[in-house]
Amino acid sequence: MTMTESNNKLSKHDITKLAFRTVFLQSSFNYERMQAGGWLYSMLPSLQKICGKDKERLSQCMKDNLGFINTSPPLVGFLMGLIVSLEENNEDRSLINGIKVALFGPLAGIGDAIFWFTILPIVAGVCASFANQGSVLGPIIFFLIYCGIFALRIVWTHLGYDTGVKAIGNLQENSKSVSKAASVLGVTVIGALIASYVKIIVLSKISIGGGHSISIQADFLDKILPNILPFGYTFLMYYLLKKKNINPTLLILFTFVGAIILSFLGVL
Amino acid sequence: MHSITLIQGILLSVMAIICGFDFWLEALYIFRPIIVCTLTGLILGDLHTGLLAGGLTELAFAGLTPAGGTQPPNPILAGVMATVIAHTSSLNVAASLGLALPFSFLMQYIILFYYSAFSVFMSKAEKYADEADVKSFGKLNILMILIVGLTYGVVVFLCTYIAQEPMKVLVASMPVWLSHGFGIAGYILPAVGFGLLLKIMLRLEFVPFLIIGFIFASFVHFSNLLPVALIGTALAIYTYFNDKSKVSTTSAVTNMGAGDDDNDGI
Repeated sequence: MTMTESNNKLSKHDITKLAFRTVFLQSSFNYERMQAGGWLYSMLPSLQKICGKDKERLSQCMKDNLGFINTSPPLVGFLMGLIVSLEENNEDRSLINGIKVALFGPLAGIGDAIFWFTILPIVAGVCASFANQGSVLGPIIFFLIYCGIFALRIVWTHLGYDTGVKAIGNLQENSKSVSKAASVLGVTVIGALIASYVKIIVLSKISIGGGHSISIQADFLDKILPNILPFGYTFLMYYLLKKKNINPTLLILFTFVGAIILSFLGVL
Repeated sequence: MHSITLIQGILLSVMAIICGFDFWLEALYIFRPIIVCTLTGLILGDLHTGLLAGGLTELAFAGLTPAGGTQPPNPILAGVMATVIAHTSSLNVAASLGLALPFSFLMQYIILFYYSAFSVFMSKAEKYADEADVKSFGKLNILMILIVGLTYGVVVFLCTYIAQEPMKVLVASMPVWLSHGFGIAGYILPAVGFGLLLKIMLRLEFVPFLIIGFIFASFVHFSNLLPVALIGTALAIYTYFNDKSKVSTTSAVTNMGAGDDDNDGI
């Protein structure tokens, strides 16, 4: 137990503060990287404490925690606590990235299923029935329940941090292999993310006479491979970013203007 | 038949700013119609209408969730306007909710626009991260929250106090291709984010796993990404043991030297 203490720069109080900071997760939500900016903003005080005066390390931590992320706000504390514990122990960067990328999607799925599709309909249904009778209890109960759900973020964050601290001993022995394994997991999930988040549907149809027409999407593209356009477009972006070193902002503007023009032309 | 006073317009606007912050951050869920309508009713001095509108609008919006990244019609504008219209006209809350929907769509488009537009700030964020400029990075995040909150305040003030009619005309006159275009852009823009992720993580040896994840998600129906993550985990464990056995046979000698560098001193 005493051996790990030398690495611990964060106190229990810091982790509780981190739990409250998770409120900023969506502060700079945007379509390019979704919660990336808010994710980093939430963790910044912790990262500053971990890195101390080492500006270079802080810059590296900041850059790495500014990648695409989209997860469940009520549950994000778990992932954030876990990642902070890895940062605290100065784990391999690709290991931290791999774990983050691998976990945010499933956590989002679990969070959506619990909070949007289970708790909200039940709580809303019960509280709305109070309100419909003109009782002010409806909104009050609703508010109290959601305050409770917010308070649980403290529990998730400590749980994530403790999980990370315990796992670190095991991770250190084989960190290269673990990093590689984490990258495999991360890349697999990115493949699935491309298929489920990026949507490009061609509306154009080719008329073949006699009132019949062929839908480019349903009769042609989907027959070759579903989601072929999202995959192709993502790889085009990857190619332009990696090989041509094109600024992401330019690609966003290009995509945005292109989408509106193609919508105007009726292609998409 | 009531009309909205200037004071009420300002109070509604302040409430919308606070609920707007919460909508953006999804923290306390005071952006849900049941809360928004009740507060609107309180401000208008008509709590009963607020509660009735709240119950109805909340149920109508229970299925409209931002889960999975799609942006539903805006619950704050729906709640405020349903209550305001019911209070100022002789309509019942259900008809008011119908009339409130165009306002809800207007705010939805504004939010969608911000989702796209804020992507531009990411290059600034990247720059601050590069310089480890914590202060500026924080300001940038706060700026975006403020832009959203103030927009709520302005839109609600305009819709409730200045002009209900012109706003309705504006929403109705927005061409379909434009609103449709915003939606399409929202579905394609994550491709840039994934491109950036791949730039960091993808190496040739990982391409097979990218293909497996993609093909699985394209052909198998699932409600969340957990199944893919489990497949990924299976592949990761396989890779881990494969890699470990290779390392242990080829570099047993170098491992002994590296062990001394460990700080734990186990």
